[in-house]
Order: sequence, then C-alpha cells, then structure tokens
Amino acid sequence: MLFQISEQVVNGIVTGAVYALVAVGMTMIFGVLRAINFAHGEYYMVGTFGAWVAIEYFDLPYPVAIVAGVIATAFVALVIGQFVMRRMVGAPAEAGVLATLGIALILQNTVILLFGGGYKFFEGGYIEPVTILGVSLAEQRLLIIAVAVLVFFGLELLVTYSRMGKAMRAVSQNVECCAVVGIDVRKVVVRTFVLGAALAGLSGVLTAPVNVSVYGGMGELITFKTLPIIIMGGLGNVRGTFFAAMILGIAESLVATYVGLQFRDTVGFATLMLVLMWRPHGLFSAQARY
Amino acid sequence: MSLNESSLPLPGRDLRLPFGLAVVVLACCAPLLLGNYALHAVIISLIFLLPAHGLNLLVGYTGLLSLAQAAFFGVGAYVSALMAVHWGTPFYVNLFGAGLVAGALALPLGIPALRLRSTSFVMCTLGFVIIGQAVAKNWISLTRGDMGLSAIPKPYFALGPASFTVSGTVGFYYLVLAIAALATFAVWLIVTSPAGRNMVAIRENETLAESVGVPTWRYKLIVFMISAAFAGLGGSVYAHYLTVVSPLTFQMSNSTLMLIIVLGGGPGTISGVVFGSLLFVGLSEALRIAPELRMVAYGFCLLALVFWFPKGFAPLITRFWTMLRGRS
Amino acid sequence: MTGLPILEITGLSKSYGAIRAVDGVDLQVHRGEICGLIGPNGSGKSTFFDCTSGLARPNAGSVRLDGQDITGWSLNRIAREGRMLRSFQKTVTFGALDIEENLVIAGQMFTFPSVASTFGLGARSRARVDGLRQRARELIRLSGLWDVKTQPAGNLSGGQQKLIQFASMLMPEPKLILLDEPMAGINPKLIERVVEAIRYANEQLGVSFLVIEHNIDVITSICQRVAVLDQGRKLAEGTPAEIMRNQAVREAYLGG
Repeated sequence: MLFQISEQVVNGIVTGAVYALVAVGMTMIFGVLRAINFAHGEYYMVGTFGAWVAIEYFDLPYPVAIVAGVIATAFVALVIGQFVMRRMVGAPAEAGVLATLGIALILQNTVILLFGGGYKFFEGGYIEPVTILGVSLAEQRLLIIAVAVLVFFGLELLVTYSRMGKAMRAVSQNVECCAVVGIDVRKVVVRTFVLGAALAGLSGVLTAPVNVSVYGGMGELITFKTLPIIIMGGLGNVRGTFFAAMILGIAESLVATYVGLQFRDTVGFATLMLVLMWRPHGLFSAQARY
Repeated sequence: MSLNESSLPLPGRDLRLPFGLAVVVLACCAPLLLGNYALHAVIISLIFLLPAHGLNLLVGYTGLLSLAQAAFFGVGAYVSALMAVHWGTPFYVNLFGAGLVAGALALPLGIPALRLRSTSFVMCTLGFVIIGQAVAKNWISLTRGDMGLSAIPKPYFALGPASFTVSGTVGFYYLVLAIAALATFAVWLIVTSPAGRNMVAIRENETLAESVGVPTWRYKLIVFMISAAFAGLGGSVYAHYLTVVSPLTFQMSNSTLMLIIVLGGGPGTISGVVFGSLLFVGLSEALRIAPELRMVAYGFCLLALVFWFPKGFAPLITRFWTMLRGRS
Repeated sequence: MTGLPILEITGLSKSYGAIRAVDGVDLQVHRGEICGLIGPNGSGKSTFFDCTSGLARPNAGSVRLDGQDITGWSLNRIAREGRMLRSFQKTVTFGALDIEENLVIAGQMFTFPSVASTFGLGARSRARVDGLRQRARELIRLSGLWDVKTQPAGNLSGGQQKLIQFASMLMPEPKLILLDEPMAGINPKLIERVVEAIRYANEQLGVSFLVIEHNIDVITSICQRVAVLDQGRKLAEGTPAEIMRNQAVREAYLGG
C-alpha cells in the first residue's frame, strides 16, 4: 500500500515537472504582458511535432531531435511574438484572451492539416527502467525531473542576475516606468515569450517518449492543465508555479489511481474553480496581480 | 451606437419597411432558392444564432467576456435529448425544458463566477465547459458516455389528439426560422427595455452605474442566466436536428465560434449578430471548407478582430441602418 | 433650517492593513446645508467618502441617513433607497453614450420599483422613460449643454463632463449629494458654472451637500460649515472663517 502510494507520488512528480516546464513560461509571459496565453499548450505540441518530424522524416537520433524540436518551437514563437504578442503590450485583458485563442486555433489546426489528425507513434527516448529506492521508473522520467530542476534553477539565476531577467522584472512591475528609463518593453515581451514557448516545446519533446503517441490536439489539454497551475501559483510567480505544478501532478496521479482514471483531467479545473472562489488571488501570491 | 437598435421603430419616410419585408420574403422563400445543402448551412447558422444572441447580451451589452456558452449549449442538448428519448415529450416541451434547465443552472454557477474579474472570470467560464464535458463523458448511466445519445426523435408536436412530426430539411428550416425570429424579437425587447439601458451602463462603467443606483450584481446574474437559457434553447434545437448528441457538444471551439459570431458580427447590435452567424457559420458550412481549415480561418478572424476591427462589422451595420433610414 | 441632521456619522474607522486611513471620525451634515470637507493629501478624505457612500465597508462606526442606519449598505442601495448620491473624481460619465442617455440611466432606478420591472416594455414603462427624458432635457438646458447633447459624453471636455455628472445626480431628486473634488481638473471658466449649479440645487431643489474640495476659495464661498481631516482624524470643524483662523489647521497644511 505504502509502496504503491510512493510510486504514485513519484509518477505525480514527473507529471508535475512536465506541467511546471510548460506553466513557467505561461506565468512569465503573464508577468510581462498581463495576459493569459491560451495558446501556450500548443507550443508543447509544436515542440513534440518538431522532434517527431526530425525522427520520422530525417532519421535523426533523439538527442538531436530534442534540439530540433526546441528550435522549431522557438522559431514559431519568434514569428508569433513579432506579429502578435508585441502588439498586445498595453492592450486590455480581453484582447489578450481573444488573440491567443486565435493563435491556438491556427497552430493546432495547421499541424493537423500538415500531418493529419490521427495518433502518431513517437520513436525514441530512454525508456529503460531503473530502480531507485525501490521505485522503478523509466530513465526518461528521471531526465524530465532533472531537466525541470535545472531549468528552474537556471531561471532563478536568470531572473535575479542577468540583464534580461532584470528587464523582465522591471516590465512586470511597471510598464510606463520602463519606457521612461529606456527599457524596450516590446523586445522584453518578445524575448520572454520565445523563452517561455521554447520551454513548453522542451517539455513536449521530453514527454513524448513517455506518452508514446502524439497528435495535433494534444496542446489544448496541456493548456487546460497549465491554466489552473499558473492561477494557483499566483500569476507571474515562478516559484509558486513550480509548487502548484507539483501539487497538481501528484493530485492527478493519486486521483487516477484511487478515484478513477477518467477523473484525472478534471482535477485541475475543479481545483482551480474552488481556489478562485476561496482565494481569488491564488495560493502563493501575496497580492492580486490581475 | 449600441442603442441604435432602440431607434428602430421611428416613423418616417425610410427604406426600413421595404427592407424588412424583403428579408421576410427572402427568408420564407429560401427553400425555393437554395439547394438542400445550402439550406442545411442556413439551419446550422440559425441554430448557432440562439447561443450567439445570449452571448451578445452578455458580451455586447453587459461587457462580460464568457466562454461558458458551449457548456449551456451542451446542457440544453442533453436535457432535450434525454427528455425526448426517455419520456417521449413533444418538441416544444423539450425546448422549454432545455432553456429552463440551462438558465437555472446558470444561477449557482454564476454566483461564484461573477465575483471574479476579467481574466479569472473567463477562465472560470472555460472551466464550466471542461467540467461539463467530463460529466457528459463519465455519467455513463445517464449520458452513455462517449457513445453519446442517438436516435433522438425529430421534433414532433402534439396538441390534444392531433400530432405531427417535422421531418425533412425544409420543414426543419421553417421551424428553426420561427424559433430564431422569436428569439431575435425577445432580444430586441430586452435591449430596448430600461434594463437594456442599465446593461449598457454596466458595460460602460460598472462603478458609475452602481453610483446611480443600478444593482449591477443582480443585473449581471440575470443576464448570465438569460444568456445561458438562450444557449440551452440552441442546444435543444441542435440535438433534435442532428438526432445525436455526444460529449463533443461541450467543446471550447463551440464557445470560440459563438464569440466570433458576436464579436465579428458586431457586439451590441442585434442585426450584426444575425449577419455574423450567417457569415461565419453559414458561409463556411455552405462552402464545405474542411473543418481544420475553417478553424485556421477562425483563428485569423480572431486576430483580425482584436487588432484591426475591434467592433467587428458593427460600424458597417450602423452605417447600413442609417442609409436605410434615409437621414443621418 | 437645522434640526435633525440629514447625515450623521459616528466613530467611522477604516484601515487598510496596518494603515488607519480613517480613525474614528464623527461628522454631521444638517438638512439644507453645504458642508465642506478639506484636508491635506492622504488625510483620509476619499476613504471617508468611500465608506460613507457604500463603495467601501467601514471597519467600525455608523452612518445614519435621515435617521435610518445605512452602515454596510452597498453603493447602489444607498443611492437607490437612500437618495444619497456621490460623484467621482475621475470617472464621471458613460463615455460612449450621449448626454440624454447618461441622464436617463441616472434616473431609471428611481422610477422603476424593481429590477424585474425594468424588463417591462408596456405603456407604463414607456411613460416612465418619457418622463425621464423630459426631465433630462430640462436639466441639459439648465446646465447649458443643449448644443452638445447628441455628442457622446466621452468626447466632451472635463468640465462639461463634470456638469453632465452633476445633472445626472439631480435626476432622482436626491436628498444629499457627496461631491468628490468637483473643481479638480476643470477649466477656470467652468468653475463658476459648477458653483452656480451647486447653489441652484441647494437653494431651489433643497439638496444638502458634503463637498471635498482643494480650492479654498470655492469652499469659503459656498459652504456654511467646514470640517478638516488630518491623518484620518477630524482636526477641526466650524464656519469657513473660524477654520481659516485655526492654528492647528494652518500647521497641518503648511507645517505638516
């Protein structure tokens, strides 16, 4: 019993790490743009498909496919960032909702048009099981956790010490002041957006071997999972997002085992709605940011 | 500008009466002019007009962006289908029941949701769609899960001993046309009433509306319920037209589509929403565009609406009515 | 003129976190008077107004309007049932609507007995709206805004919008009006017109006023009585002349 629980918790942490990688980009984008990115899960999907194309069409090995997937996502994000996201600086919240919903429709259905809507088999990744402390899990899952920890560590450093990180924090504090002191708000927005999207793409590439099948509509589900996470984490709060992602991952894993698999995908939104009603400003945020 | 509709019944030498008559004649003769497939496209757009009217009251008049419309649409579809399949009730009872249940359900959902602001409210309404779909998938004893409900009878009417069934595309067209016309008239009644003026006040400035005594909270809740009831009516007609419903009725793309109809057609105008549903649903259905391509096109429509045409076709619609009226 | 005060506030307190924005303030507005409320920036005037008008909930104290306890009522209920209206410094009109619509909206909740009745479109409902339109036109004429009455209110100047807001507040035949800096940000030429409008409402319509204003000349010319707030407390109260002589008030403003 106890063993089974610990196994579920470990699985939950892996799922949580996947969510965290996607959600952190979304929350950073909210930080600089004050807009929820309803298309964020689609970059996860684009990353996965980038890697899938690299493996399927070009016979590249998985590690190269990871790079290819991330670069493909970053490129798509750069184009969208230049044409759409930078226009959203200073726009009302509703404009952000509608524009990103539009992008989600475009990305998702373009990929389906290009590659068909069916499920595809993802070949590659490190699926050999290893046993740690009595819990057996695939190497790939360890890789996901390791990457997530590294990324969050790196982001903390980036946000705290780098020039770009400082600019990001400045923009999330006060857009008008940034313009006065000469920070190019639009540039910061586009860069943050590309970084966040690339992280979502990375998450997608890393998860593909675990999920095995990939399909064009997979991004929407991820968006629905990350929306609750970033709200619960306190919008714009990187650390809060990490913990909220872990909590949701573990909760989903436990619900799938002890309540029923079919209820797994509603845990997030059910929790979100309870949280919104009980604490409208999120679990980890001291003040309302939206 | 949004109150332009209230000046519709002004007397005067203008072209509105002939124009209205032309629309009525055209609508009545559509089965003669259109092929079966095109008529099907018009039926689908008239069905989507119902939730879109509701959404227009919410977004266009009261200023609340909501994605919940697909949830109430789905609730209406399931309620109507279940009543028809299990109890064999006539169509108008199912229609009424669907609107009533959807509207009533909006009360407990709206009370917590409407306390949230802008993005959080949007997200909460999106949650209704997701949770609605999960319920439709998992309450198998009632909804038969992913298999959905099939063999929903075509609309049948029973008055005393007499009864008849509307079957065939042409018959259904006239039924939907009548319902859509009544719904449009009902929306017109609402927005031209003093309550409609209060709704616009809430959209323009909620605190200022409060300060002149408008109980904004009650209005928002009532409008949320009315808009849900309209969506429920649409879902009911939808179920009886397709004769099957599945959990896919609850999908976000339905909500997005209803938003595009309202925002593209002209939020805060009635004729704009009618135009929007014919354009965005009817035309794409009639042209038989592949569903994915249609979604891509909708995506670009949304971007265009946000960045270039924030009022959709509303300015054009306003100019059109001014032209018909024959004076500025 | 005096007698039972129309507005009676006792021990009103409001804190935000550790900051006590308003700290046990007592204030009375007598029937038919124009009472001024002054104080340096950050002295708690706006919070005091928000708590009195129902926009914010006080932590302690009570507000009585015409003998009725209205503490904790919402903004819309105080306006609707208490006929005590307030103005705002910044948001003053429904910008997309023309002046007449602005005024009709302001009057609606006072002629329709319930939310449900506002959905009615019958002859009675139409007659009520027609009545409102007539009153709106009278007030538009009185405010000297007739020439611009078809323009969206948002297109007009700040001063004109303040006049629209003032006219809106007269729609429901109010008992008491709380004015939050009516002269802020308006053209000096229009100040005289706003002052006239206040005098007209006070003398002809019998409306009592509580006015926050930084323009001391305006305060001394229209108010019978002035109260001074400083750091959330009432520092002084009296006729304008008494307040001008008060040493503590001078220090709060100059020496702070």
